[in-house]
Amino acid sequence: MSEFGPEGLCVEDLRLLQGKFELRGSFRAPAPGVTVVFGPSGAGKSSLLRVVAGLERPASGVIRYGDEVLEDVATGVRRPPHARDIGMVFQDSRLFPHLTVSGNLEYAVRRCPAERTRPDVSAIAEEVEISHLLERPVGRLSGGERGRVALARALVSAPRLLLLDEPFAALDGRLRRSFVSMLGEIAKRQAIPMLVVTHLIDDAVELADHVVALRDGEIVAAGSAHEVMAGGVFGDLLDRRDHGVRLTSGALADEDSPHAGKGVWLRADNVLVAAEEPRGLSARNVWPGKLAGMEVEPDGAVVLRLACDVGTVLARVTAAAVRDLELEVDQPIWAVVKTHAV
Amino acid sequence: MLSAEEWTILGTSLSIAGRAILFSLPLAIAAAWVLGRSNLPGKSLLDAIVHLPIVLPPVLVGFLLLMIFGRRGAIGAWLDETFGITLAFTAEGAALATAVMTFPLLVRSIRLAFEMADPGLLEAAAVLRAGPWDRFLSVALPLAGPAILAGAVTAFAAGLGEFGAVIAFASNVPGETQTLPLAIWSAMQQPDGEALAYRLGAISFTVAIIGLAAAELLQRWARRRHAG
Repeated sequence: MSEFGPEGLCVEDLRLLQGKFELRGSFRAPAPGVTVVFGPSGAGKSSLLRVVAGLERPASGVIRYGDEVLEDVATGVRRPPHARDIGMVFQDSRLFPHLTVSGNLEYAVRRCPAERTRPDVSAIAEEVEISHLLERPVGRLSGGERGRVALARALVSAPRLLLLDEPFAALDGRLRRSFVSMLGEIAKRQAIPMLVVTHLIDDAVELADHVVALRDGEIVAAGSAHEVMAGGVFGDLLDRRDHGVRLTSGALADEDSPHAGKGVWLRADNVLVAAEEPRGLSARNVWPGKLAGMEVEPDGAVVLRLACDVGTVLARVTAAAVRDLELEVDQPIWAVVKTHAV
Repeated sequence: MLSAEEWTILGTSLSIAGRAILFSLPLAIAAAWVLGRSNLPGKSLLDAIVHLPIVLPPVLVGFLLLMIFGRRGAIGAWLDETFGITLAFTAEGAALATAVMTFPLLVRSIRLAFEMADPGLLEAAAVLRAGPWDRFLSVALPLAGPAILAGAVTAFAAGLGEFGAVIAFASNVPGETQTLPLAIWSAMQQPDGEALAYRLGAISFTVAIIGLAAAELLQRWARRRHAG
């Protein structure tokens, strides 16, 4: 972890007790960059964010930002949430119902310390696409609009670190994709370090420079997205139908803007395998490679490990397919992927 | 429509109930916040003290006020010597007695408003750099505002009818402490006072209905505000 500079968040030997639930572990979220907190529901992702924001009191551990100690249970140091300079976007938006949209934004701007560069509210409103909503009471916003206003409010408060607790959880399909893309763009343009909670692998891959993986309250892996997502521990956190590999952005032919993030997740279920070079296919990605390994799953399906130029790719096929193609380890194969399947 | 005497009685009532609410509102807001939102030790004791006026006979409350705030009472003597303030048998005393009697009602409605407010909004304010007082003044209080007003109006309407504690502590001085219920009681004591008692009763009834209607309107506003 020494590759990271002094800037950023550092959490050491954290222990948080909530009834029978216990959250524990250490991680770093380097700045700048987006760190995704990933794990199944109930793993403790939101609790982790709440501890960092100062909304929960840990039983032990140290939380630092740069050189500054925000919390050290052993020495009794504790900065309250309002003095941490850490912003947060909650899952349920938490807009102030007695204020309009612009009232909510002003609330944040007024409390931004004078020594900070005042954020350009209208530029952020434009970027988050809420300029037309400014005079609206928050009671008359849709779910997606509420999420965007909550994001804008957090951005105009100009925190040194922004925590996002699945702000797109309530959105589905296209709306969620566009929110995630927008978030990635903003992280890049505003150069604001973010800690983003999600349980959806596609969102995690699109946003993450770094990953903190959580299971049953334990931080089981933390590091660069490339490293952590390639590890077996990470694979264990996924649903069976989500098993796959992370490809860096640009690996797929004709990749369009919704996938212009940090990477894409290629599910094993979305990869076809050919024993001979296929021709005349509509699929835009045909990658020659070698069959590097086979693993039979409990239900009889076989996961093939394919060593291709773009990296290792997984393909889940039936046992019958393996028999018919007479597949053997080390033989040449072609992996076939539709761009839109990703 | 109303006689000069009736106007005086109504004016005395409105002024005493109004002062009672103005005086007790800040304290009621503080008590409601402690009871509804804080984790301070001794909350149950405070809760019991706040609700005492509901369960004690009003006359006893008036008597206790006399013992404490009367000229020879512990606080009353000090107020008299230090500031020359006398409460017993004055309009200010009537307002104090009314304030004590309506205090539980006021605290209950304000506490409900504080409890109804989403604690998540206070967390949202905290991560936007609002300190505890700032959060209270900029989020909790404005959100509870309509409900506080509704509680104040209800307590005001109830205060107009306060009898036992007022008569015990402030007596029944026309033009000074004689409120509507006291005047009705006085009228009932006179052989030919039945007509006046009816008229005063009608005034009382009208004012109470206006108060309740206003409180209901404010409550609806409060609910809309929380629905956000």
